[in-house]
Amino acid sequence: MKRTLAALVLLSVSPTVRVSAQDRIAETQTVLSQLVETYGVSEAEGPVREAVKRLLPPWAKSETDSAGNLWVRVGQGDPVVVVIAHLDEIGFRVTAIRDDGALELQPRGGFFASLYEAKPALVHTERGPVPGVFVPRDTGFSRHTPPPLRVDVGTTSRQATEALGIKPGHTVTMPKRFVRLAGTRATGRSFDDRVGDAALLLALRHLDRAAVKHQVIFIWSTREEIGLEGAQGAAAILGTTPRRVHAVDTFVSADSPLELANFAVAPLGQGAAARALDQSSITPPAYVDSLAAVAKARGVKLQVGTTMGGNDGSAFTRYGVVDVALGWPLRYAHSPAELVDLGDVASLADLVQAVAESW
Amino acid sequence: MRSTSADRRSLKDSLPVVGGQALRVTALAGALLTAYPPIHLSAQTVDQLALRLSAMTAVTGLEQAMADSLLALVPGSARDRAGNVTLTLGGGNAGGGGPKRLVACPLDEVGYVVGNLTDDGYLTLRRVGTRAAYPLFDQQLEGQPVTVFGAGGSVPGVVAVKSTHLTRGRSAGSDPVFTADNAYVDVGATSRDEVRALGIALLAPVALTKRPHRYGDRLLAAPAAGRRAACAALVAAARAKPRVKGTVVVAFTVQSLYATNAGLGTVQALRGPFDETKQAALATRYTDTAVETVSLKDAEELERELVKWMEGR
Repeated sequence: MKRTLAALVLLSVSPTVRVSAQDRIAETQTVLSQLVETYGVSEAEGPVREAVKRLLPPWAKSETDSAGNLWVRVGQGDPVVVVIAHLDEIGFRVTAIRDDGALELQPRGGFFASLYEAKPALVHTERGPVPGVFVPRDTGFSRHTPPPLRVDVGTTSRQATEALGIKPGHTVTMPKRFVRLAGTRATGRSFDDRVGDAALLLALRHLDRAAVKHQVIFIWSTREEIGLEGAQGAAAILGTTPRRVHAVDTFVSADSPLELANFAVAPLGQGAAARALDQSSITPPAYVDSLAAVAKARGVKLQVGTTMGGNDGSAFTRYGVVDVALGWPLRYAHSPAELVDLGDVASLADLVQAVAESW
Repeated sequence: MRSTSADRRSLKDSLPVVGGQALRVTALAGALLTAYPPIHLSAQTVDQLALRLSAMTAVTGLEQAMADSLLALVPGSARDRAGNVTLTLGGGNAGGGGPKRLVACPLDEVGYVVGNLTDDGYLTLRRVGTRAAYPLFDQQLEGQPVTVFGAGGSVPGVVAVKSTHLTRGRSAGSDPVFTADNAYVDVGATSRDEVRALGIALLAPVALTKRPHRYGDRLLAAPAAGRRAACAALVAAARAKPRVKGTVVVAFTVQSLYATNAGLGTVQALRGPFDETKQAALATRYTDTAVETVSLKDAEELERELVKWMEGR
């Protein structure tokens, strides 16, 4: 532990210090675990944004735009490059309080609601989290399509629930923890996209600012899971100014005993992954080649592939900005059991740093 | 989901004894079965005991670690040949005045054991336990954190689930209910040898990772919370030093959820016959789910009732 802390102190004053692979994993875990254990459903990203601000290197000056996106600018001049990862996580929003005190919910983002059924719940209020449970269904026993989920906070009337400080609009999640698994693997919920957030932070901590020859804008965005809304706001502000955008988000991997291996097979432990083709954007092949060259020159492990899902970078493409989406292989995406290899996260951070410094 | 009463099967169903169960969970594993701090034997309230016991795992037939904790919690108790934890209050087996009575609490739960290890380091499961009143009992594993109780201690893992993104545009097929046969446990290993190096072998118990969850007005949600809170009430009653009428045998029984209910059968065969039997049980909500809910007020009331019953009042 002391060794890790010492490494982190050194990094904060001397960005170019090189650390061992073991310390790199420890540093990655230190940053990522804090982000994963912070709650922030779409439209309620405030706690995550504050966590990112706390983890920035001391020299970084941040600003928050009207959409709630957090910006840090590094370097000056053209071409302007944007690197963007999203703050929000999937979850629920309270839509109504029933006469029996239970909460009606609206999903925020796309996921199997059955994974929340019959699990502990947290309602995030101004007074702090209120515990409850996601009510198990008593009819319609099928796989992934339960009847609309409700939360029981242990009350029997609307008034009693309101007395706990709960209102429509509050967000609901289940408790979560960052847990290390065998080797360099780890599990938790909301790795999508706290890994992206962590990669930006780690890249900034290690960045050689003297090597940055143009402006690079790091953005932590809001409301990605409900339609890239924060990124759309940032893209509108920047217009045609940026040359490239690097969305840093999950490469949903088929490296699993349950998935078809037709595509998206980015094995865990093999490094960062370029999302060359997903549901929202296609990176021009020449840019994929350039990315691969940057990675090779810097000795960063990179996989190139195609997966599903959209990314924040696609909000910029309408302005003529090229989206070169980056990611890392994630198993069991949008579940409480998301699983990563911390070595891949470190590779992703190295790739972001390399892109900022040398592309 | 409607409220139901906890298991109230008759104690008069005396069944054959199954003895000599292999002890596959070490004391070390037992110590690691929960993330909660060690129990201090003084001043344990029913709430604290219920929380503690609910955080533990006792897959039916593999309850040794839970039994170890109960032995520490209940002074004078002993383990019998089936693995039950029993305590005699009052006149003892030799007799003396008054009736001979039994109060029992089953300590086991439906759970899983490792059934196989795959070449690429996943564990597959076999369910253990005959009762699963909730039709989606196994489905509660899908995409959730689990704990594997290996020879060297507890090992965290998760049960694999398809990524929702990769299902888009593809037929979901019949989307049948998830069963234990669909469960692949991922502990982060990449080979069978790596799994073995973690101390995991066939028959290692596996359960949803337990984090008892309090909500509302002294409600407790956890797998098997009703049984654990009832056993907590019985522990508290036994520790209250009641002035027992006659002889009372207190039994925390094993294997209540397997084919022959061998634990209770053993108590009856070795310690009976009894003039009266009583089962410590509590009503639960969301029964047999991962958020089975019990009222800790009810548990406290049960403790008082058990003391009165032991004293013949």
